[in-house]
Amino acid sequence: MAIVQFENVTKAYISGDHELKALNDVSFTLDEGKFVVILGPSGAGKSTLLNMLGGLDSPSEGTITVGGRDISTLSDNELADYRAATVGFVFQFYNLIPTLTVYENVELVSEISKDALDAKQMVAEVGLSDHLHNFPSELSGGEQQRISIARALAKNPKILLCDEPTGALDSETGVMVLKLLLRMAQNYGKTIVIVTHNQSIAKMADVVIRVKNGKIRSIEEQADPMSADEVEW
Amino acid sequence: MLIRKLFRTAWSYKAQFISMIIMITLGMGIFLGFNMEWRTIEVDTGNFFRDTNYADYRLYSEKGFTSDDLQKIAAIDGVDKATRYLTVNLDIKGEKNKALALDVSEDFNVSTFLVTDGAGYDANSDGFWLSDKFAAANDYTVGDTLTLEFQGVALSGDIVGLIKSGEHMICVADKNQLMPDYNTFGFAYITPKKLKSAVEAKMKDTAAEELKKTGIPDEFIDDSLSKLLFTDKDIDKVLDQVYAQINLISDMEKGALEDAVKERLGRTIMVTPKDDHVVYQEAMGEAEEGKTMGSVLPVLFLAIAILTMVTTMHRIATKEKLQIGTLKALGFKNRRILRHYTSYGLFIGLVGTGIGALLGLGICKLVMSKNGMMGTYFDMPDWSAAVPTFCYPVMAGTVILLTLISFLSVRQQLKGTAADALRPYSPKKMRKMLLERFPFWDKMKFGTKWNLRDLSRHKSRSAMTLFGIVGCMILMVGGLGMRDTMAGFLDLLDSDISNYTTKVNLVDNAEKKDALKLADEIGGDWESLSGISLDGDTVSLDVIHNPNNMLNVIDEDKKRIELSDEGVYLCLRLKDKAKIGDTITFSRYGSSDTYTAKVIGYNRAIMTESVTMTDTFADKLGIDYTLTAIYTDKSADEISSSELIAGKQDKAQLMETFNSFVQIMDSMVVILVVAAVILGIVVLYNLGIMSYVERSRELATLKVLGFRNRSIGRLLISQNIWLTVIGVIIGLPAGVGVLQWLLAALAGEYEMKLMLGGLTYAVSILLTFGVSLLVGLMVARKNKKIDMVEALKGAE
Repeated sequence: MAIVQFENVTKAYISGDHELKALNDVSFTLDEGKFVVILGPSGAGKSTLLNMLGGLDSPSEGTITVGGRDISTLSDNELADYRAATVGFVFQFYNLIPTLTVYENVELVSEISKDALDAKQMVAEVGLSDHLHNFPSELSGGEQQRISIARALAKNPKILLCDEPTGALDSETGVMVLKLLLRMAQNYGKTIVIVTHNQSIAKMADVVIRVKNGKIRSIEEQADPMSADEVEW
Repeated sequence: MLIRKLFRTAWSYKAQFISMIIMITLGMGIFLGFNMEWRTIEVDTGNFFRDTNYADYRLYSEKGFTSDDLQKIAAIDGVDKATRYLTVNLDIKGEKNKALALDVSEDFNVSTFLVTDGAGYDANSDGFWLSDKFAAANDYTVGDTLTLEFQGVALSGDIVGLIKSGEHMICVADKNQLMPDYNTFGFAYITPKKLKSAVEAKMKDTAAEELKKTGIPDEFIDDSLSKLLFTDKDIDKVLDQVYAQINLISDMEKGALEDAVKERLGRTIMVTPKDDHVVYQEAMGEAEEGKTMGSVLPVLFLAIAILTMVTTMHRIATKEKLQIGTLKALGFKNRRILRHYTSYGLFIGLVGTGIGALLGLGICKLVMSKNGMMGTYFDMPDWSAAVPTFCYPVMAGTVILLTLISFLSVRQQLKGTAADALRPYSPKKMRKMLLERFPFWDKMKFGTKWNLRDLSRHKSRSAMTLFGIVGCMILMVGGLGMRDTMAGFLDLLDSDISNYTTKVNLVDNAEKKDALKLADEIGGDWESLSGISLDGDTVSLDVIHNPNNMLNVIDEDKKRIELSDEGVYLCLRLKDKAKIGDTITFSRYGSSDTYTAKVIGYNRAIMTESVTMTDTFADKLGIDYTLTAIYTDKSADEISSSELIAGKQDKAQLMETFNSFVQIMDSMVVILVVAAVILGIVVLYNLGIMSYVERSRELATLKVLGFRNRSIGRLLISQNIWLTVIGVIIGLPAGVGVLQWLLAALAGEYEMKLMLGGLTYAVSILLTFGVSLLVGLMVARKNKKIDMVEALKGAE
């Protein structure tokens, strides 16, 4: 069943005198529970695509439907509610709140999400129970990213959106984080969308969407994706 | 090229640059304005006093001074110039409730005047030189005729010139009048020759009366016959009594002069230096008030301005770290980069100080100019604007300090290699706060924790914000409280002390028995004010007869004291002199007799430092006093004129003059409150924006997570509100403290008791919260525009 549907989505930015199309007439659908990788070089438009899907930005033209609801025309507040209920974000640079502890960073989402999961349990699931009361600055990059995953999942969203989640990590830590992401997504039955320029990650995906110059070059379903251990990093 | 960068950078940090310039402008403007005000008073009044030969000393004698006395005093080594002098308040004939102080200076080298219109001084003139302000207020011009009532005879003549005089620069009928009111009171000069002819006319009248009594028919009595009854010597004798004052110009010490006078004349004479003369005292009092005000509030402004600069400059330097690194990597030498960024402080310092100097001049002119606040108080010809010398180093020092602040902020960022500088600024590591050890911490909402940690993480920013709010609060409480105190003072004077309708001032040489008779006729209470020496200080002896509750003596709680006939009451300002039950010893001017009396209580005397006693007790001690004023509930019209009466003052009119004083005060309060609000807005906005920029990544994260704009805005505002609550809690008592200190410093003239109305508290608190909320909303609005995608790019 399709959970995401992009129909003729265009996102144009005005830069000086000319119009720059970051996304140009993009259409595709994503099924629920799948692991999707959006692949492309920098400037291809993949982050823009992710931002649209995450409700951080609205399209200039076209419609985006998530879970049967058109999100392309929502107001600021409706978009905030959509982000709170439907999507969880994992960023390249973690974006934890530096003034809150590990536990508080995860617990934070219970203030906006109606069916938030238990923060302590989520921290335990990413294996950082010992660091419950540490501040982000006291953790390594990989640990911070794990907290960021716990926070994204604690909202209990339908879709997990990850923008270069391993971009700031060494390959060993990156693999560990990817494995964790996949395991958690499977455990909680979430659709997971990762934006990356790393070809290796694509090998693990159910669906690979290749983007270039704001257009979709190909959509490829992989019947038998590799596991993280099988992939050569 | 780097200059271009300076202006572009200034533009990109425009909120910070503008707020720093505003702060420096405001701080410098208020600092200069307040200090220029008192300096200008000193300079302008000093010039005017010099130009009109304002007397350094005034010698008073109830019996008057003879020409011989004058010669003896003029001969004292150290006395430069001396003149017999008369100043007496006289009613204008044919005008209701208008009076003039009539002055005569026998030797027109002391206590003179400047002519603004008409003829100059001429010792043979038969005319009046009239105060130009009084003339303007009452439509008198040169050539008009003026008639005064002088000891029962008409003193008439043409107005020959319009003038200003140092002796009447603050033209008040007596010390009880705070503000001049030229509609009802002015001053005029005549020549000694004219005074002599007036005395002669009076003597002829008296002689004619005598002749009538002897049975000579009226038609035979004329001037030439009356003149036979007295000689020129007799006229001189009367004049000797009329000249109750000698004014002199001398650099001598008061004590030395007193001794010399006593030695020459063989009797103690009341010698009052100019410091005790109402004009000089008030003018210098104003200057002193200015100095006191200038030493607290403006310094507070300047300090806040400089501290804001420290925080802001440091933030800008850390934000510019990457640029600094880039310049370094490009091959710019450290010195060049330092010079470039240091010029930011120099730029802000020069622009802020420059505009501040203009603002200071404006503030000074608002107070010290012909049409300014002091224009109604001081009557003088020239109004300048003088800067105290120490202000120049302060101005230069401020510019240097600001330059130094940016120098130090940048030097910090320049340490290490270019690669170090290119690494983004990393904020301080989070540490647990003391509060987190308490169990209630875990129960706090995330927003509360977030804000608390943010405050502790950015201590200098939080402290600056707090400082701004406290400063804002101090200024408001100080300004409004000053007004309350003044209003309370007037209320005390109007309703608790004074119950009379009219105050009848008696002439200096009124015989006690005649005065008592008059008091009996008019009805009401009376008092006798005279100078005494108590432990070497000059204070007033107030002999009071007040069974009719027209003039009350009150205690600390504003309750009327039923005066006892067993001792004396000291005013609260003399409380240190003696305890209740102690005895004090004092002597009167003009007499070597000393008196000893027991202190039986303290009273609130708001105008003069005084020792108060009943007439019965004064009689018991054997003090010889004369009545100085009668307080009655009769209106001025109902009191027929008498040669004993020097003038009549309506209480309502008197209070009216106080009101104009309050109006001046109000304008000052408005300046202070407006300045406080601007200060609050600028400081809070500047720091608010800084806080917003620093937290923009966190705010973007919250937005991404799904927090609505409104709840993020609430977070931002609540931090401001907390700081405001703390600021108000500190600022309120601090404001009261500063006010108390100011009142103590200004207490020389009047006994002011700190009074703060509920409204002052309410207005100060509400305004401060209003400012904080307004700024909070302004900053929170920016949150709507935050670009989530942009803010989350790059590493922390």
